[in-house]
Amino acid sequence: MNFEESLRISVRAIRGHRLRSFLTVLGVAIGVAAVITFVTLGASLQADVLGEVAGDRTPSMAVSAGPADAAPGPSGPRQAVFTERDVEEIQALDGVAAVVPSGDVPVAGLAFEGQTLGYNQLTASTPAFFDYRTAAEFSAGGPYAQGAAELVLNEPAADLFEVNVSVGDRVAVVRPDGTRVNATVVGLLAASDSPFGGFAIPRVYVPTDPFYETRLESPNSGTQQRVYPTLTVVAEDFQRVGAVREGVLAYLDGESDARQLKPESYEFRAQTAEDVVDQIRSLLDTFTAFVTGIAVISLVVGSIGIANVMLVSVTERTREIGIMKAVGAQNRDVLQLFLVEATLLGVVGALAGIVLGILGAVAATRYAALPLTFPYEWAGIAVLVGLLVGVVAGLYPAWNAARTDPIDALRYE
Amino acid sequence: MSDATDAVVLEGVSKTYQLGDQPVAALGGVSMRLPRGSYTAVMGPSGSGKSTLMNLVGCLDTPTSGRVVVDGQDVAALSDRERTRLRGREIGFVFQTFNLMPRLTAAENVALPMVFQGVSAAERELRARQLLDRVGLAERANHRPRELSGGQRQRVAIARALANDPALLLADEPTGNLDSATGRAIMSQFADLHRAGNTVLVVTHERPIAEHADRIVHLLDGELERVETIDEPRRPHAGDTQ
Repeated sequence: MNFEESLRISVRAIRGHRLRSFLTVLGVAIGVAAVITFVTLGASLQADVLGEVAGDRTPSMAVSAGPADAAPGPSGPRQAVFTERDVEEIQALDGVAAVVPSGDVPVAGLAFEGQTLGYNQLTASTPAFFDYRTAAEFSAGGPYAQGAAELVLNEPAADLFEVNVSVGDRVAVVRPDGTRVNATVVGLLAASDSPFGGFAIPRVYVPTDPFYETRLESPNSGTQQRVYPTLTVVAEDFQRVGAVREGVLAYLDGESDARQLKPESYEFRAQTAEDVVDQIRSLLDTFTAFVTGIAVISLVVGSIGIANVMLVSVTERTREIGIMKAVGAQNRDVLQLFLVEATLLGVVGALAGIVLGILGAVAATRYAALPLTFPYEWAGIAVLVGLLVGVVAGLYPAWNAARTDPIDALRYE
Repeated sequence: MSDATDAVVLEGVSKTYQLGDQPVAALGGVSMRLPRGSYTAVMGPSGSGKSTLMNLVGCLDTPTSGRVVVDGQDVAALSDRERTRLRGREIGFVFQTFNLMPRLTAAENVALPMVFQGVSAAERELRARQLLDRVGLAERANHRPRELSGGQRQRVAIARALANDPALLLADEPTGNLDSATGRAIMSQFADLHRAGNTVLVVTHERPIAEHADRIVHLLDGELERVETIDEPRRPHAGDTQ
């Protein structure tokens, strides 16, 4: 019996039970639609988040020292161990475009126009800091100069005072011991949206000279030097990021000051933007897999529906099976007939599911204000899954039908 | 012993069923020959082994002992697939309850046995129309069984039985579900087919039906009681009663 023939007979059988067939198809369709919706939602979320994180990347890495077992990332504990000598040595490494040290300056507060606000730390770095910082757009003014009593505020920080701070104003930095240092505001940074929500923390940026006073004796040179907890190392281009990373870590683990200044249990890390993106991606992948897993359950339920309907159908058509066998149908003809019917239900369900799933994905991404990123390969996978679901769910009922004894089947009422 | 002129030969055929752990002998050593072109009736009360005999001759079952030879082939020696193939080609079934496929049209029902023999769609279509014409149902070809009367359904079943030009037409109580006038019309179809050279075996418990045959094989308790030859069988012509 050829395929065309069994398809024709199967279509008749399916149309013979419209409501039942519709409900069965609906079960599979909902399963496939759920999978497509959630996978699309996951892909869209990922594209959105990674697009912001990786938007205008620089070939840079954040170098720090922290406990070996601490989670990597900007929030882990870290020690100021990188001396000015280390900065110079790394600067001299092959492929390094720039080394931007940064560290925190503890303060008691900020004063402006007679108003004093409690504030606990400034971010000290070099002017180059603003060249390599993503989303560091000056809304007014520009970067500070090294050795000058100048500072840069981001907009949330400028808004802290009753009178808004603008470029040219003088703000007093109150040190922990109560002494005041007057500094000129030279730049304002536009508030950048954090990829994880709308909040932006007020930040104040100052040059390391004269503000940064964390000093230690450099073990190699024997002189008092500024020591920094974080170095941003910028490679000349993206191709060299890996090599630069190797070089920096090799230097640090060798004759660096930092190796001697860090606790034995601490390790050096050089985290590239790629690493951060990978971390976020794996986090989102886990999330997507979890939600998709739930959707797959509904697909399994749908396939059980097919199996159930096919079993009922085989029982109902026992007599027809007997007739077909009496007039010469082979076991495989009967098997094929029921398998084609189950597969047809699965495939129609999957096709309907794709349409429903796309609609669901469009609605969900619109609701969550995400850019729609449709994973096209999943449409193909969904059809394959529908096919597979139909075959697997139909296999046992079809096998049952095929091995029916024609004598019993013809006697069946 | 089997002759090339015999459509079916049974040699000492026994069939024992296992009912729980109790063996039940349904047929005990039956021998008979159905020569090509013959018209035979099998009669007997219920439990006499009629159904078992029909299943064996129809290649639906294999004997516990003895030989069933259909169209020169020993049924017991065949694999399940070969037996199904032989059945499809050489046996045309006509059942008491018609047993048509409810969702297929009359023409599709007639064509069904040809589907399983791999006959092309065009050829099937043509032959199905010819066969329906032969049983006088050409104009009902595209109707579903539920749109047909009992007699019409049985005629569709007869046309289907002829689809692969079988060696034997095997009818099991073909008039059992029909009123007597319709029953007579069906029997005249068989008479016509017999005249056209078909081999016919009718299983029945109604004497008037059995008298259409050349001879009546009487079964009792699974054994061949006697073979009765009918001197003047009833041979109505199709069209005598419609």
